[in-house]
Amino acid sequence: MTEFWVSLLVTVIKVLVVLGVFLGVGAYLTWFERKLAGHIQARLGPKLVGPFGLLQPLADGLKLLTKESIVPAGADRVVYYLAVILALVPALMLFAVIPFGPSFKLFGVEVKPIVADVNIAVLLVFAFGSLLVYGTIFSGWASNSKYAFIGSLRKAAVIIGYEVVLGFSVLGVILLAGTMSTTGIVQAQIERGVWFIVYQPVAFVLYLFCMLAESGRVPFDIQEAEAELVTGYNVEYGGMRFGVFPLAEWYLNVMALSAIAVVLFLGGWSGPRIFGPLSPYLWFLIKMFGLVFFVLWLHWTLPRFQAKDITEIGWKVMLPLAVLNVVITAFVYYFV
Amino acid sequence: MPWMNKVSADRIKQEFKEVEVEHTEHTTNLHVKKEKLLELLSFLKNKEGYRHFIDFSCIDFPNRKERFQGVYILYNPDENERVIVKTWAKDGKLSSVQNLWACAKWAEREAYDMFGVEFEGHENLRRMFMWEGYPYFPLRKDFPLEGIPEVELPSLTELMHGRTEPPSHDYELLHTRIATLEDLERTEKARLQKKAQLVLNWGPLHPGTHGTIWFLFDLDGENVVQCDVILGQLHRGMEKIAENLYYFQFLPYTDRMDYISAICNELAYVSAVEKLLGVDVPEKARYIRTMFAELQRINSHLLWLGTGALDLGALTVFLYAFREREKIMDIIEGNAGYRLTSAFLRIGGVHYDLAEGTLDVVKAFIKDFPQRLKEYHQLLTRNRIWLRRTKDVGVITREDVFNYGLTGPVARGSGVPYDIRKLEPYAAYDEVEFDVPVGEVGDVYDRYLVRMEEMVQSLRIVEQCVSKLEKLPKSAPYINKEHPAVMAPKEEVFKDLEDMVKNFRIVVHGEKAPKGEVYVSGENPRGELGFYIYSTGDSKPYRLRIRSGALYNLSIFPKLIEGRTIADAIALLGSLDPVVGETDR
Repeated sequence: MTEFWVSLLVTVIKVLVVLGVFLGVGAYLTWFERKLAGHIQARLGPKLVGPFGLLQPLADGLKLLTKESIVPAGADRVVYYLAVILALVPALMLFAVIPFGPSFKLFGVEVKPIVADVNIAVLLVFAFGSLLVYGTIFSGWASNSKYAFIGSLRKAAVIIGYEVVLGFSVLGVILLAGTMSTTGIVQAQIERGVWFIVYQPVAFVLYLFCMLAESGRVPFDIQEAEAELVTGYNVEYGGMRFGVFPLAEWYLNVMALSAIAVVLFLGGWSGPRIFGPLSPYLWFLIKMFGLVFFVLWLHWTLPRFQAKDITEIGWKVMLPLAVLNVVITAFVYYFV
Repeated sequence: MPWMNKVSADRIKQEFKEVEVEHTEHTTNLHVKKEKLLELLSFLKNKEGYRHFIDFSCIDFPNRKERFQGVYILYNPDENERVIVKTWAKDGKLSSVQNLWACAKWAEREAYDMFGVEFEGHENLRRMFMWEGYPYFPLRKDFPLEGIPEVELPSLTELMHGRTEPPSHDYELLHTRIATLEDLERTEKARLQKKAQLVLNWGPLHPGTHGTIWFLFDLDGENVVQCDVILGQLHRGMEKIAENLYYFQFLPYTDRMDYISAICNELAYVSAVEKLLGVDVPEKARYIRTMFAELQRINSHLLWLGTGALDLGALTVFLYAFREREKIMDIIEGNAGYRLTSAFLRIGGVHYDLAEGTLDVVKAFIKDFPQRLKEYHQLLTRNRIWLRRTKDVGVITREDVFNYGLTGPVARGSGVPYDIRKLEPYAAYDEVEFDVPVGEVGDVYDRYLVRMEEMVQSLRIVEQCVSKLEKLPKSAPYINKEHPAVMAPKEEVFKDLEDMVKNFRIVVHGEKAPKGEVYVSGENPRGELGFYIYSTGDSKPYRLRIRSGALYNLSIFPKLIEGRTIADAIALLGSLDPVVGETDR
């Protein structure tokens, strides 16, 4: 019985740590993005609130929390609020299956730095990724606005196309690792001493595209499209309810998908032990934020695709490529 | 630009016995009866090569029986000749020429809106700028300048408490009636022919419209079935204002039309007035004008580039473009004293001599700018996404250029080398070297390339102006103050009695212009900005018609967007680059 309580306690602590760290990092990613965007665009970014503008996210949060929030007339209230939850929860749940480091012993208890080490972790990632689209669709549908509606429909079209590609691009890795457990995949890479990006470069590129599409980053930010749809699906939300959408989509989702990319392709926490006992965690975070940085960089450089182009590329180019990749991987793996 | 040659005029006289050919000092006019108008115009278009529609407007003569005179300005691209066709309305009616030139639809709607002239055969004769149900016609001579007050606006708090009678918030009675929400709804309903399920409303305030234009899209999925443009949100009645001001007083108003290229507007206006008054401009002033007009053109194109890229999601180009804009703004501010609406030019010259060090700053800019342009090219020109968004979107054919009266980079993007700076040089454009870039396909991408290359050419012109201005002595005159209609510079007014008296006379009484009419246009970043001035010998113009390039360029938008997506609409609108201050005037 004590074992159950201990494991429950450990899990609750892990959940709290993950929640605290990633919500906080998500908020500070806004500061980082604005700073980065500023320097890309030959300006300084936030610099007045606190040293280097470090208190800017807090000020933003305070502003968003104290703002009056208006529900548009004719909105479906239940779904309107549900959309906020559905945007945030799946993005957070993705972190449940991410292993941040190898297991260690604390007070005689073995602790794995992963919230839920389940053997179908990759499937869970797909499931939560698909759930994310409901946040967007509900917000577009419930807020009784044409801009939001068109934006959410665009997003739905994109997600449906890219979910499939995402699934196929990851299949190769699963074949190689022989497991769907995220910890298992990392272990497999460590045992072989090779990151799977070496075996699966095409899949990695496809995964990156899918990551951009799922998180609605440039060049796939058609659901926002501020020029034509104002800001698309979240145009009728105000205050922190509005703040949740970019937080979930642009920051939490990007971080989670980057972390999964690190797990699948970049060897998870593996790396030379140059930072002492913390080095696996640091390696993981370095790789993850490297990818996040890449996404932000693209965002502030590229123009935006059209909706029909995105789905066209997804179905006509990426899906065949992904399928081909899986077939070739399977053959090579079976015969060699 | 020469006017219709004698041979064609004789041919027309033979063909149409009753047509009167009138050679005035600055124009050639054909007078025709209303019944023969369509015949003459289609003869001019199909046989004589006057294919390019420049402008149509009306003049109100309240003392005459027919009252309204329609004025058509046409252009022959083969011979590089213009002609004016005039006809009198009958019972307040004219025939529509929409079957000859598609853009005449908008011009005729404007005339209907402003004069109440009806057009027989017009498919959709509605108000252009005023709202449906507005009972007056503002450009008629009997319409007072201050408007006709009808409604006193209640304050918002009064409305909320249900009190509207009597309003304590006294709105100034000088103002004419203002469109209410019901008026706007009625306007919207009248314009809209619902064909598909979803009607998407853009504007009047919308980030994609670059100003207060109002678009209505009938959508089928994401495809546009039909589109309607409702203008007039920024209509200030510039032409009416001009009729009530002395010639020199109207100059700052031109700044506020296409507010992004203020100096180009001023240049077009002063060129027209100087031609009417017969003012010679000193060499130095001409070069200063040219230099600043070209700097302004680069400035304007940079704004187009930044916002165009912003519309397509490339956020960074916008701020890069503003970095360079800032430098040009500084140069303009240092010389004119203002950044945006600079009021720098004067009839007969420029307001100030070049400020000290201007040429050095401009030279530094010339040296720096090509590298910046290269940066933009690197970011966009070969970018796959940019190509996908702009290639083969909104293709304009050569016929459409003439049919819709397109000018400026939009016309040149379709391969029509129509550039007033070459065809009818004003300021110092005949003394500097530059090329006119033209596109091949006429899509958004071509217009993008044309504008990018135009910036390079403008830089070339600026460079030549700088080297010329450096050679001119510092004491060279920058304004022709000998001419009786030209005001002397401010600093001399306080020292010289004669100048003071002259300025006093002009400010109080204005300077009488000779009788006659003149049409002069300038090559603006947004197309041909033309001023048609009809003078009856007064110190104010009897009629001043502003031919807006942006308005005619926008008139092709509903045609181009049909069957394309909303996302294309934004790319297309960016490439047409309208400025609402000029479309609405």
